[in-house]
Amino acid sequence: MGRAGLGLAVLWSAAGFGQEFHLGARAAEFKLTDPRGVTAAVDPAPGNATVVLFISAVCPMSNDYVIRINDLYRDYSSRGVRFLVVNSNQNEEQAQVDDHARRAGFLFPVYRDPNNAAADRFGAQSTPEAFLLDGGGIVRYHGRIDDARNPARVKQRSLRLAIDAVLEGREVAAPETKAFGCVIKRARKTT
Amino acid sequence: MKILSLPALFATALLAQPQLSRIDESGYQKLIQSQSGRVMLVDFWATWCAPCRQELPLLAGLESRLRSKGLRLVTVSADEPEQERAAADFLTKSGISGPAYLRRAKDDDKFIRTVEPKWSGALPALFLYDRRGRLVQSFVGGTEIAVIEGAVRKLL
Repeated sequence: MGRAGLGLAVLWSAAGFGQEFHLGARAAEFKLTDPRGVTAAVDPAPGNATVVLFISAVCPMSNDYVIRINDLYRDYSSRGVRFLVVNSNQNEEQAQVDDHARRAGFLFPVYRDPNNAAADRFGAQSTPEAFLLDGGGIVRYHGRIDDARNPARVKQRSLRLAIDAVLEGREVAAPETKAFGCVIKRARKTT
Repeated sequence: MKILSLPALFATALLAQPQLSRIDESGYQKLIQSQSGRVMLVDFWATWCAPCRQELPLLAGLESRLRSKGLRLVTVSADEPEQERAAADFLTKSGISGPAYLRRAKDDDKFIRTVEPKWSGALPALFLYDRRGRLVQSFVGGTEIAVIEGAVRKLL
């Protein structure tokens, strides 16, 4: 392998880009820790659809989406969509995550992800970053919530479009999108 | 003594502010091609990104040390237009003197894929190109300056 290939391989493997639960794949059980500190396996296919959303308590980009995340939850949880909002950043303390959730007025619990194992399996790189699983646990959407940090500049509400498509049994028109956000701070691997 | 009118003073103050050039996906490709013959480090950053702000003065120092050997540092801000002034000010404060851009993609997905298909757009992100304009290494997330310098020196 040439120098270029090695450099990229080191970078991407270090950042956890294996992405076991890639677009089109069926997610398996994964573990999350609830705000009480209880870690449990999560069934990826319990109902209509599941949104797995990686956020941060300190990332300004992620925090600019707080209201939009609450709106998403309010609009879709009543339609049987489950939301798993996850903080995988290993440099953010539990108290910080709890305080942030309280101040943000989140209508749902924020789960922790010990050793960023769930982020690694999903291949999540940044915050905010969303994954949408259908009722069969298949990853049907991966990417941003929408296309602009400033709500007034939003042209495409990507995650909403994807959820609507899945709930209506349609193909997701833009199943994978990218967005600028903060890197998820992962645990150092000792291997 | 020359007295400037208020509008003239305002215009002078505006002109004194460093401006960031807009760059889209096709502009990025042209930028890479234009730097052929030099080793280029492209830093994607934003004023809201704390690790990016920590990294910028260190990158300015790195370019200053290695400029005579052929290193060029280019910055691309992912800020919104309303943060342009703050971004330009921070670049000046950090000692950045090279080309500075503000990302204005026609299509964000296409822009990010143009830079590196595996990159999600997460910041900070640095991309190292060799003298032939080939992407050699990518650093996504905060990276120690010694690691970056080591990679750069291998190409000089």
